[in-house]
Amino acid sequence: MRFSLNLLTLALLSATGAVTAADFGIQHANTAKVKQAAYQCKQCKIPAVHTGSVTASLGYVDSSDSHAGNAFGTNDEGVVAGVDANVSYLNAEGYRSQLQAHQLGMDNGFVSARSGKIGEYKVELDYRNITTWQDEAQTQLWHHGGMLTPSESVRFVDLKLERQQAGLGFEYQINEDLNTYVRYDREDKTGSKSASLMSPRPINFAQPVDESTDKLSAGVVLSGANWMTDISYHGSQYKNNINHMSLPYAYDVYAATPDNQAHQLAVAGQYRLDATVLNGRVVAGRMIQDDNLIQVAGNPLQNWDGQVDTLDAKLAATSMLTPRLRVGGSVDYSKRDNDSSVYEFMQPRLSYDPLSNSFKQNTVLDIERQTVKLNTAYRLAQGYRLQAGYDYKQVERSYGEREQTRDNTLWAELDIRKFDTVRFEIKASHGIRGGSAYEASELTSSEEQSLLRKFNLADRNRTELELGTQYTPANWMSLDLTVHYAIDSFDERKGDDTVLGLHESRDYGYDLNLNLFLSDNLTAYGFAGQQWIDSEQAGDQANIWYADINDSFINLGAGVAYSGLLDDRLTVGADYLFANSNGETLVDANLTGSTSYGDYYSFNHSVELYGEYALSESMQLKLAYQYERFYDTDASEVGVDAITGLTTLGLGNHNYNAHQLMLSFSYIL
Amino acid sequence: MIERVKRGLKISLSALFAMGLSMAFSVSAAPWDKLTGEELEQQLTQKFAEGKYSPKGADSCLMCHKRNEKVMDLFKGVHGATNSSASPMAQLQCESCHGPMGKHNRGGKEPMITFGRDTKLPAQSQNSVCLGCHNDPQQMAWHNSTHNLEEIACADCHQIHAAEDPALNPLKVNDTCVSCHTQEKADMHKRSSHPLKWDQMTCTDCHNPHGSMTESALVKPSLNDTCYECHADKRGPFLFEHAPVVENCANCHNAHGSVNEDLLDKRVPQLCQQCHADDGHGARVVPQDGMSSFGGGKSCLNCHNQIHGSNHPGGSLFGR
Repeated sequence: MRFSLNLLTLALLSATGAVTAADFGIQHANTAKVKQAAYQCKQCKIPAVHTGSVTASLGYVDSSDSHAGNAFGTNDEGVVAGVDANVSYLNAEGYRSQLQAHQLGMDNGFVSARSGKIGEYKVELDYRNITTWQDEAQTQLWHHGGMLTPSESVRFVDLKLERQQAGLGFEYQINEDLNTYVRYDREDKTGSKSASLMSPRPINFAQPVDESTDKLSAGVVLSGANWMTDISYHGSQYKNNINHMSLPYAYDVYAATPDNQAHQLAVAGQYRLDATVLNGRVVAGRMIQDDNLIQVAGNPLQNWDGQVDTLDAKLAATSMLTPRLRVGGSVDYSKRDNDSSVYEFMQPRLSYDPLSNSFKQNTVLDIERQTVKLNTAYRLAQGYRLQAGYDYKQVERSYGEREQTRDNTLWAELDIRKFDTVRFEIKASHGIRGGSAYEASELTSSEEQSLLRKFNLADRNRTELELGTQYTPANWMSLDLTVHYAIDSFDERKGDDTVLGLHESRDYGYDLNLNLFLSDNLTAYGFAGQQWIDSEQAGDQANIWYADINDSFINLGAGVAYSGLLDDRLTVGADYLFANSNGETLVDANLTGSTSYGDYYSFNHSVELYGEYALSESMQLKLAYQYERFYDTDASEVGVDAITGLTTLGLGNHNYNAHQLMLSFSYIL
Repeated sequence: MIERVKRGLKISLSALFAMGLSMAFSVSAAPWDKLTGEELEQQLTQKFAEGKYSPKGADSCLMCHKRNEKVMDLFKGVHGATNSSASPMAQLQCESCHGPMGKHNRGGKEPMITFGRDTKLPAQSQNSVCLGCHNDPQQMAWHNSTHNLEEIACADCHQIHAAEDPALNPLKVNDTCVSCHTQEKADMHKRSSHPLKWDQMTCTDCHNPHGSMTESALVKPSLNDTCYECHADKRGPFLFEHAPVVENCANCHNAHGSVNEDLLDKRVPQLCQQCHADDGHGARVVPQDGMSSFGGGKSCLNCHNQIHGSNHPGGSLFGR
């Protein structure tokens, strides 16, 4: 650490003597000979006051599964309609307004408006609706006002979340060196999500969601010839309108997410000295949560005074020492200081066992992180550039099995742009994580296995390789290939071949992208990619067992567009996409032999066929057909009562074909 | 999804077209074609210092270039506005960005400052033109950003000779990003991901492509703070906190997408068992996924459902 800081200091000191890099900024222009009064722009084509287009769409959706709404923007079946717009207004005084809308009238869409005069003021107004559909849940718990009432009749609930986001911002520039801004945002989130409670056996249930977040940001930007600073405040307040969950026979069995708020004061700055640029930031924050606690035996508090103070500070520098050599580095400090009160609370066992009650203190978790990064880039020759760097990260925790972890990483990258038709990028890195003695902590759990190494704390060697090529044999074709390989290896205990936890994880794959510009009228593309993530881990239940998890992913796509029909008025095109996610798990329990998990995969075919016809200079028609084939399965999802002692939300898998036919009319301003 | 793939193609093709266009501009016989990037930069630096600007501004340039559609598209966007004092067209006009004309118009023997992937002018020099005006908090961390260190030019993502800059359109910005970040493009289509493939979210909701003072150019002071922007319910603090959750959301989740549900790096129960190995419970062998409460339904989360933190006085095991 000390050595690293000295290196950084050396680099910064060296940077002060750096050469001046080319800077073609207009403020450096030599305008002594300019006779601007003679400037003319008779040939400039100043556009009309209004530009853009407005589109109205009317379509038909045929779908048996609301999940298709994710792709179509609405889960409505039958006739659907929406409005799109992208309109700009510019007047003679330099005022500019812009309105953009997308799928207004559907469950997913946005509208965004900007208005103002560059260099003076700007007003912005945004609204966005994001709806996501998951599964359809089956439950016999009917919710009302925090009470989950069992019923003989089954309730089918769409697990969907709808976020309505709105924002209003104002920016006012007082003069060239002083700018101010303020922005308010609000999000309302409603819907249902999957949850589970214990009473005394696990019961999955559809938890209602009704919450809001209000955010406020305001700041002042001061700037000079070679410096700038931004002083700002950011506040966020979260409110949950759903109270604790109760069953008729178990009051407040599931705690509601508590209201909370966070505040941050930030000062950020930049200083430029020829070819050297310094950036810095200090952010002081506080997170507060003092919601009422559930009143149960063994709880000494009405409400808890949860408070976490945070401090984030960073200083970074980069400098072009010569036109060929760049050096840079940064120092980062981050602290999370939990100042909340600590009390003892009675902890009933999760399983029903009234004799096993015990008292436990809440744990206040503090984290302190320091990061140092150094990097350099050197142009070896025309078209050859080598980068290298060293990263150091140290994390200290007031809890857990390991008080301190230290990560050291070396990396290098070679860019070859020597050839006109092909470029190469080769990246490699190797990192080692170590730290203080690893000891199971009584603070977090007295029962933790002493042989276990948690993957985020354990010693680890990480090696990553990546090769990228871009082949452009002609200006009508490009072919990109990226191949990556990464391995995380977790050290074994010295002198002991028994390791519990994650042993190893490999992540490798490739992406291939082809783009063709065959003529002014004909374009085509294709891409293919695969990824594999293989992990090995071990556990111990009387005997050591092992689990291999092999995740894989394949992604294929192709498309073509032709615009040369009917005197270039008609454009037709087709696009296809395929994605397949797969997870395989094999458990080897030694004594009982190995077993494979059931199916856990999903795939999706998407097809779109479309035709766009220009009725005139200002009117356009588009007819588009979209097909979605979606299938997913997860063998862990079983019927409501299929497992003794467990109540699930049923089979949430999807298997559907969905179609959307959409006719759009656009008016071009 | 298809729509965004198609737009991705358009962006890639427009980049190809721009390359072809710029080659057409330079006309293979251009004397500066044979210069190295450093030599070109030196010539342009000297030209810039001499300050031999054209006598008539834009009309001097358009005398030759007005037939080029791409050139004239400048006037469709804000950079072509002549009535805004902040616009380059209201200052030195074309030469605000392309530098002084010098003798460029006399047989085309002198180079001008040009932008994009096909010019040999180093990205940093190209970018100095843009940064001359665009120096605000959004670009404050640019010089120390990965994009700058990777020598990405502003013109690699932004188009100003156009009615609309695709990088500023929320329906197109994702395509701009994934034209290089192909791994992230694939991640969007995995079993679980944020709704980026339908453009309901944008990459810039979480990342600042101009760099930030947070890892991975995230928009907030920390990774967790960035997640809390939309997931404030996970912020707490909670009476009982789960240590890896508090430390880093990315300990368990991959925000770009996963073949597992809920953007989890690994499926449960294995993900949990990589950290929890209490005898007979946490490390219990789960030989099948749908056979018991340990592997069926929500697996470990059947009981430990408040895994992001519990505010129940009896919630130290995140079950209430």
